[in-house]
Amino acid sequence: MRRVNWLGLAFLSPALVMVALFFLLPVVLTGFFAFTNMSTATGVTGGEYLLNTATLRSLADDGLPKDMLEKLASGGYRVDAEGLAALAAATTAATAAEMDRLHGGAEFAERRDMERALKDLRDNAIRKTRERKAAADLFKRSILNERFADEAQFAAALAETGIAPTHAAEITAGAYTGWAWTTENVSLLFALPSTLRYAANTALYVTLTLAFSVGFGLFLAITTFYLPKGQATTFRAIWFLPRILPPVLYVMMWRWFTWDTGFLATFSGYFGMSPKNWMLDTSYHAWTAVVLINGFVGSSMGMIIFSSAIRAIPTSMLLASEVDGASRWQQVRWIILPQLSWPILFITCYQTLSLLTSFEYILLATDGGPGRSTEVWSLAAYHTALNNYGGNLEYGLGAAFALVLVVMGLLASLLYFRLFNFKRLITTPLIEG
Amino acid sequence: MQLDLIDFTKRFGNTTVIENMSLSVHSGEMIALLGPSGCGKSTTLFAICGIHRIDEGRLLFGGTDVAHLPSQSRNVGVVFQNYALYPHMTVAENIAFPLKVQKMNRIDREKLVRKYAALVHIEALLERRPAQLSGGQQQRVALARALVRQPDFLLLDEPLANLDAKLRLEMRSEIRRLQQETGLTAILVTHDQVEAMSMCDRIALMNGGRIVQYDTPTAMYAAPEDQFVAGFLGNPPISFLSGKGLGLAAPGVTQYGIRPEAFGPQFGEGVSGRITFVETQGREDLFDVQLPTGEILRSIQPAGSGITPGTTVDWGLAHDQLLRFDQDGTRL
Repeated sequence: MRRVNWLGLAFLSPALVMVALFFLLPVVLTGFFAFTNMSTATGVTGGEYLLNTATLRSLADDGLPKDMLEKLASGGYRVDAEGLAALAAATTAATAAEMDRLHGGAEFAERRDMERALKDLRDNAIRKTRERKAAADLFKRSILNERFADEAQFAAALAETGIAPTHAAEITAGAYTGWAWTTENVSLLFALPSTLRYAANTALYVTLTLAFSVGFGLFLAITTFYLPKGQATTFRAIWFLPRILPPVLYVMMWRWFTWDTGFLATFSGYFGMSPKNWMLDTSYHAWTAVVLINGFVGSSMGMIIFSSAIRAIPTSMLLASEVDGASRWQQVRWIILPQLSWPILFITCYQTLSLLTSFEYILLATDGGPGRSTEVWSLAAYHTALNNYGGNLEYGLGAAFALVLVVMGLLASLLYFRLFNFKRLITTPLIEG
Repeated sequence: MQLDLIDFTKRFGNTTVIENMSLSVHSGEMIALLGPSGCGKSTTLFAICGIHRIDEGRLLFGGTDVAHLPSQSRNVGVVFQNYALYPHMTVAENIAFPLKVQKMNRIDREKLVRKYAALVHIEALLERRPAQLSGGQQQRVALARALVRQPDFLLLDEPLANLDAKLRLEMRSEIRRLQQETGLTAILVTHDQVEAMSMCDRIALMNGGRIVQYDTPTAMYAAPEDQFVAGFLGNPPISFLSGKGLGLAAPGVTQYGIRPEAFGPQFGEGVSGRITFVETQGREDLFDVQLPTGEILRSIQPAGSGITPGTTVDWGLAHDQLLRFDQDGTRL
C-alpha cells in the first residue's frame, strides 16, 4: 500500500485548480447549457410570469380550448372598490363617488366602453384623453400583459379569471418567461437542414485545410532542407510569419489583398477585368480564401515540425542513398518521406482537432459568407449563441452545437491515444526499474 | 577497373586539407588508406564516391574522368562506418534499393538480392528490419547493398570500427573473401594498421593530407620511407634511440629504429639494461628494457622466460633489421 504523498498533491493543486477551471468547467457548463432553452429572451437567471398575445398564440397551437383562450384574452374592466379608491386618489373623491353611483359593480368588455363611461360622468366628466386613458387602466382587471413576480401571484390572478384548474398548469408553464430544461436543442440539431450544411462545410474545411497545410508544410520543409543554411533559415522565418502574426492583422492583410479596391482587383484591372471582391465574390472564392488563410498558418507549423524531423535523419543515410544512385526525387520519395510518417500523423491528428474547433480566421475573413457557404460548425455555434443578426442569442442551442464538438473531440482524442500508443510512451522505462 | 586520382586538391573554406595528391589503384586490387585521425583519408574516400566535390585534379575510373559527375552517376558501392541502413525498410528492401532506383524490374531485383544475400550469408534475415539485427549482421547487409549494383569500386569507410573485437576479426577475413570472390577493386579507409596490413594488397599511408608511402604491407614494414611510417606500423611499436646507448654510430644517422622482435637474447649480447615492465600477452611476453642512458628498448619474447621487472639483462640486436634515420626522419 502506497502512502499518499500530501506534499506532492499540494504542489500539484494549482495545476489541478487550473485544469478544473479552464478545461473541465467549460465542458461541464457546455453540457449544462445544451439542455436548457436559454436565450436573450429567457435570460440566464429566473423569470417572471406574463401572458401576452404571443403566449396565447402558442397556447392555441398547443391545443388550449378556444373558450378558455377567449376568457384569458378578454377579462375586461370592472368597477370595484379597489379601482374606485385608486380613482379617488388619482382625481377627486367626488369623481369616484359619482362613478360608484352610476356604474358601481359594472363590467365592461372593451376599453372603449370603459372610457365612455368615464367621459359620460355628468358632474365630473374626465375630458382630457390622456387622463381618461389613465383612469380606465385603474379598472383593468385582465390577466393579459400583466407581469407577476412569482408563481403564487400568477396562480391567484389566474383563478380570478375563472379558468378551469385542469389547464392552469399548462397556462402557467406557457406564461413563464425564464429558462427551462429541455432536450429540444439536440432534436432540433438533427432536424434542421442547416446543421447538415454546417457539418458538410466543416468536413470540407478540415479536409481541404489539412491537405493543404500538410502538403505545403512538407513542400517547404523539403525544399528548405536542400537550401544552404542561411537561405533556409530566412525562408523558414518568412513562412513562419502567419503563425506569429495576430490573426486580426493577418486576416486584415488578406482582406486588403482581395478587396474590390485591393491588390488583386487593381492588378486584374490592368488586364481589363472589372473590380470585384475576390474573397466574397462567389462561394468558390470564399472557400479558396478560407483554405489558404488557415492553410498557411497550419503549414508554417507543419514546416517547423517536418524540418526538424528531416534534420534528425542521419546524414550518412542520405549520403548512402545518393551513392546508391537515388536522384533527389527518389531520395525524398523513398528515404525522407517514409521516415516522416510519424510527424505527418502527429500533425494530421493535432490539426484535425484544432481545425474542428477554431473559427477565428473564418470569422474575421468571410464571417461564414457569402450567405452561409463557409459557415462551419464552430462558427455556427458562435453565431447561434453569441453573435447573430436577429439579436436573439440562443445560448442553449449554441451550447448544443458546441457539445457535439466536445464529444467529437473526446472521441478523436481517444482514437489518437490508441494510435500513438501513449500508454507505452508514458510507462516507466525498464532500465529504471 | 583501374582508378587514378591525379593532383587531387580538397579545400574546406580557406583550409586546404589535401593538396596535389595522386593515387593509383590497379584493377582487382584492394588498398588501404591508412593514417591517424584527421589525415584526410575519409575525405579522399568521399571525394572518390562523389560526396565531396573535387576542387582540383582529376579522377579517372578506367581512364574516364568522373571528377565532375555527381555521386549518383559514378557506380561505386560504399559501406559507411555506421552502415547507414534505411531503418524503415526490410533487409531485402535495403539491399534492393540501388536496383530499385535504377527501375530494375521486380523479378531481376529479387534474384540479385537473393544472390548477394547468399554471398554475405544473410539469406535467413531478409524479412527483418535493421533494428532487429546485430552489428555484424548489419555490416553484412551494408556490404550486400554496396555489392548488389555490381559497382566499379567498393569503398569501405572504417567498416569495422563499430564491431566488437571478435566480430572484427571475423568480418576482416569476410570482407577480404568477398573482395577476392567478386574481383572488385576496393579501397578501405582505416586507422587500424592491423586491419590495413591483414586485408589489403597495398597500403597508402597518409599523414597531414598527403600520402607518405604507398607500398605492400611487407615492404612497408620492412622498409619504411621515414620515421613516421616506421612508427605507425608494427604492434607493439618500434623504439627510436639515438644510438649512444647501443654503442652504434654511423655518419649522418641521428636515430636508430629497433622493432621489438629485433632485440633479445637470441641475437647474442651487447646491450645491457634493466627490465622495467613486463606485459604478458599469452603466447608472448613484452619487455621494456631501460638502458643506462635512460632510453627504453622493447623486446618481444616467447612466453615462459620467467624474467621479472628489476632484473638486469644483456641481450643482443639483429643488426640486419636495424632501421637508420637522418635528422629529417628519412630512412637511410
